[in-house]
Amino acid sequence: MDDGCVISLDNVSIGYQKNKPLIEGLNLRVNSGEIIAIVGPSGIGKTTLLRTIAGLVPPLKGGLKVCSQTNPASPPRGELGYIPQRLGLVRHASVHHNVMLGALAGHCSPWLPFSFDARKSAHKAIQKMGLEEKRRSLVRRLSGGQQRRVATARTLAQKPSLILADEFLGELDEETMLIVMDAVISYVDEKNAALLVVEHDIQRARKMADRLLLMKNGKLVPYVESLEPVEEE
Amino acid sequence: MKGENDDSFSMRDFVTGAWFSSRWALFFVSLILLSIIIANSMVDDWGRLENGGSNLIIFIEESLWPPDWSVLEPQDYPVCLAAPGFSFTCSTAWIGLIETLKIAFVSTVLGMIISLPISLFAARNLNSPWVSYPARFILAASRSLPSIIWAIFFVILVGLGPLSGILAMTVYTVGYLGKLQYEAIEGISRSPLDASRAMGHSWIERSFGVVLPEAANGLISQAIFMFEYNFRHGTVIGIVGAGGIGYYINLYLKFLQYDKVIAYLIIIFIVVLLLDFISIKARSYFTEENDVNERGWLGFISRITALKKSPK
Ligand SMILES: Nc1ncnc2c1ncn2[C@@H]1O[C@H](COP(=O)(O)OP(=O)(O)OP(=O)(O)O)[C@@H](O)[C@H]1O
Ligand SMILES: [Mg+2]
Repeated sequence: MDDGCVISLDNVSIGYQKNKPLIEGLNLRVNSGEIIAIVGPSGIGKTTLLRTIAGLVPPLKGGLKVCSQTNPASPPRGELGYIPQRLGLVRHASVHHNVMLGALAGHCSPWLPFSFDARKSAHKAIQKMGLEEKRRSLVRRLSGGQQRRVATARTLAQKPSLILADEFLGELDEETMLIVMDAVISYVDEKNAALLVVEHDIQRARKMADRLLLMKNGKLVPYVESLEPVEEE
Repeated sequence: MKGENDDSFSMRDFVTGAWFSSRWALFFVSLILLSIIIANSMVDDWGRLENGGSNLIIFIEESLWPPDWSVLEPQDYPVCLAAPGFSFTCSTAWIGLIETLKIAFVSTVLGMIISLPISLFAARNLNSPWVSYPARFILAASRSLPSIIWAIFFVILVGLGPLSGILAMTVYTVGYLGKLQYEAIEGISRSPLDASRAMGHSWIERSFGVVLPEAANGLISQAIFMFEYNFRHGTVIGIVGAGGIGYYINLYLKFLQYDKVIAYLIIIFIVVLLLDFISIKARSYFTEENDVNERGWLGFISRITALKKSPK
């Protein structure tokens, strides 16, 4: 019944200016239940790729399909969870408020500002991220790592079938990092969701992902171990 | 891109690479020169400035000073019913002042209620240009006339008195506060909006769940500023008969009783200073810089409620 959310990119170019694409000829398929990690140097266009898939930047060229929608101006409500690199939290609102924003998108129609399911889901996600004590605190008073966990909690509460995560494990100590990673991975397994994650740490990326991709020199290519020394250069 | 691999450091780099840009200095000097030239083309005789000083002294000595504080005494009619010691509450200065404050308060609140939805439409980061430009046009139109012109207009429409004052200031508040508000809304960072769009929030959810909380500090502090602004301008609109202390100022101006006028002006000055001070204090609760020692705007409200609740 749930055929999952699939991303498919067909010869897509991404970037902000028509004449200066960052990455060209992107071909990528993400099936449900799959975890794909993208690594690559800073400023190459990893975030831009996620924003393109999320419908925030129009692709310069090519066919983009997200959740069976072609070239979506905006993805279907609640299907796509996005953990931006800059988190995108409402800094002047509480942790609860932020997580509820995700839960509402995932559980309610736009005209229903509240539902018991959404509340329960938000509560669970906050618990999973170990933030119960901070539930009522304003996000701007949390530490960097706590804020990162709020962003993850928001996406977990949303229960999307596709998660785009942009370096969501940054600023966390090893132990917390593992908790967060496990929570997301077990969610993906449970719901048979797809996860596309950008990660600068190759060890971590390898640990999470079924497939590793490398973004380099304007291309997205499968990551091969032997490429590593080239990249270090 | 030519000097990219060039390590040499030319004199030109030294000049343009200073911590200040010499171009800015040049820009300001030419701006000042330009304004002097323009002023000179309009003023036929700079010698008039000399007389100005002596005229001022004569004016102050003969008709302005000392202020006539009788404006703080109760009016003869209607009979003052206030308790002894509070008889100043029957004075024209007090009555006018309170009326001006009331007008400012009501029109700020009304103006804010009207301008908030319009500014949500006017924000370019939330709407397409097809929506935002019409909304901006409405705001610009109600801001284009100063509140005193609106006051004249409404005095013609609904007659003398505070009602026309309220209407005039409300219209102006919508335009002015609305502009401040959409600028605050456009100033919020892009990534919460990104996340909200990706999740598929509706426009209403995004506005009330993301934009307003994120911009709340700015919005509240601007509303407080607007109240203070409306009080200052409320003194002027009374001159055209739209209520408030300006009415009395205009009255005594007509009778050439400048010593009474100056008494009113001093009172207004003191109240403006006070409001300014309160406004700065109140607004400091709503800015993030004060986060260290204050508890933000929620804390401000909880502090007020705590004051009420405390038994002793
Ligand atoms: N809104 C924007 N408008 C124009 N150019 C942008 C915009 N955002 C990013 N860029 C540019 O696009 C390029 C790619 O940026 P992007 O954020 O995708 O890099 P990234 O691979 O995510 O890097 P990092 O690992 O440092 O996060 C950069 O050169 C950046 O300057
Ligand atoms: Mg990035």
